[in-house]
Amino acid sequence: MDIKEQEVTKNTLLKEIAKCRACRFCVDACSLYQVTEGVESMAPYGRLQILKYLLNGMLDEDDPIIYSLYSCLQCGRCDRVCQAKGQDLEVSKLIRLGKYLLSQGLVKGKKSEKV
Amino acid sequence: MEVDRAKVGKHLAKIVGKEHVFTDRATSVVYAKDTMPWDVEEKNIPYAVVRPSNSKEISKILKYANEKLIPVHIHGSGTSLVGLARPKTKGILLDTARMKEIRVYPERGYFEVEPGLHIADVRKVLAKHNAMLPVFPGSELVATIGGTIAVNTSAHGVDAALGKPGDFVLGFEVVLPTGEVIHTGTESTRRPAGIDPTKFFIGSEGLLGVLTLLRMRLIPLPYFQHIVANYKRTEDILDTVMEMYKQGIFPPLFFEFLDEDAAKIGYDAVGLPEPIGAVAMMRIHSWSKAGAEERAQNFLKFLSVANPIEARIVTDPEEWNTIWSSRAEAGNYMYRLGMTFGSEITPRVDKLKDAFQDAKVIILNLDSYKDNEFISFGHIGAPTIHAYAFVRTKDISNEVKKAITVEMREKTEELNIKYGGCGGEWGLTAQRVSFLKKKYEPELYELLVKMKKALDPNDILNRGNLQGWI
Repeated sequence: MDIKEQEVTKNTLLKEIAKCRACRFCVDACSLYQVTEGVESMAPYGRLQILKYLLNGMLDEDDPIIYSLYSCLQCGRCDRVCQAKGQDLEVSKLIRLGKYLLSQGLVKGKKSEKV
Repeated sequence: MEVDRAKVGKHLAKIVGKEHVFTDRATSVVYAKDTMPWDVEEKNIPYAVVRPSNSKEISKILKYANEKLIPVHIHGSGTSLVGLARPKTKGILLDTARMKEIRVYPERGYFEVEPGLHIADVRKVLAKHNAMLPVFPGSELVATIGGTIAVNTSAHGVDAALGKPGDFVLGFEVVLPTGEVIHTGTESTRRPAGIDPTKFFIGSEGLLGVLTLLRMRLIPLPYFQHIVANYKRTEDILDTVMEMYKQGIFPPLFFEFLDEDAAKIGYDAVGLPEPIGAVAMMRIHSWSKAGAEERAQNFLKFLSVANPIEARIVTDPEEWNTIWSSRAEAGNYMYRLGMTFGSEITPRVDKLKDAFQDAKVIILNLDSYKDNEFISFGHIGAPTIHAYAFVRTKDISNEVKKAITVEMREKTEELNIKYGGCGGEWGLTAQRVSFLKKKYEPELYELLVKMKKALDPNDILNRGNLQGWI
């Protein structure tokens, strides 16, 4: 992914995540939310918010962000909930795209390369 | 005041264990975000998120917070629609999600539940005991029982049909803002007469204490019947509600509606053909099957008072679920097409039509935004008017979102004053403090401040909500 593609992906992600209403209906569907006894940053809703605030510059890339995003199992259960009751977002696809963007940064030797 | 995030985290970890404390900014931002449409700001981001498992740990957290004068914001699931859930100032965010034990005691006639259990999960457990939870928020998949009782929200439930959720609370375990643990109420199904401190904490919005155990009466699960009625105009539904109260007819448990535009969007979202006009939906309850059927038949006859195009009892549960989804999820379905800015007007019932018309005029003439539409749906039989400014885009700046929210709030507050209402669903602090000050004598707000100060001298819990900070 070259810089131009990264920029397009970033803008697509920001536009899509802006649709999330923070209703949190998706959280219970997530296995990671369940095993962490309800940690919201380990839930689909939380991952979308983290991506948003990472991409708009409010958050810096650090280990907890990477743990949160990479903990997504891509099972797609949150997609079903969002489709039926929320904003009809392809949540797992957005997280996958976000991870991909992040990995582009990692291979260039950012501080979280160790992860 | 400078606070060392790591130091706070270390101290909290000693109380709850390090795996239950988060001091990273990412987790803090996630918890700070709520359904308010504008972005989280620096001032909202907590120093730490702490996730205790019992009242003893909460007691220690609050004693520490008082010693260090650090505010503590209580978090259920963050679904408040008036900003109660967003921390107004930096502090410790106390998440109740680990506290979700429930024990049902049929032989005692009550159940006890910890605050963090989601409403849908409480309902599932009670259903096994043939009991009904008298709480009906649209966000029940994720909203917590603690948050619901802390706001005493009726949501879909018509107060005149069942009462408010707080009417079924027998007692609490509460951690006071200064850390003492107290118990209120009774283990009998008979509630105390006279002064009942349980009532101080029902609807206290986390200002007076942290609810750590709730004891609620078991209500036998009623039989339900469902009615759907189509009307040429929303005004006919308003006439029906006014006439229902005037004639002294016992109201349905739910009496919901979608106005002409909301009905089109809601029905389309669930795959139903476009309805003509506005739609009303009712859930009738009774404790015998024959009673529910008789009530439904009688109510169906009564509905002819405002000449619906069609009104019928829906007997197929699947059909009812689809129709009901168009209403229950209407808020999210509208939001897919843009943004909605809501209001909560609960007029004197004989003024329902006047209040509705006034709300329409206000919303179609906003100063903060042009070209918005008016849309309305919700708990009209309560009566609650949720009048929305509907904007068919999400491309609005944070400043404009705030401006629309504030203008909507201020102007619709005037209608609650003009028509004798107060609200019945979204809570009365956070964004609605200005209403309290305008509606009642100054002494009433001062009384609330004094009560808060008596229990929370350092203003630790949910700081900023009683001040009306945005």
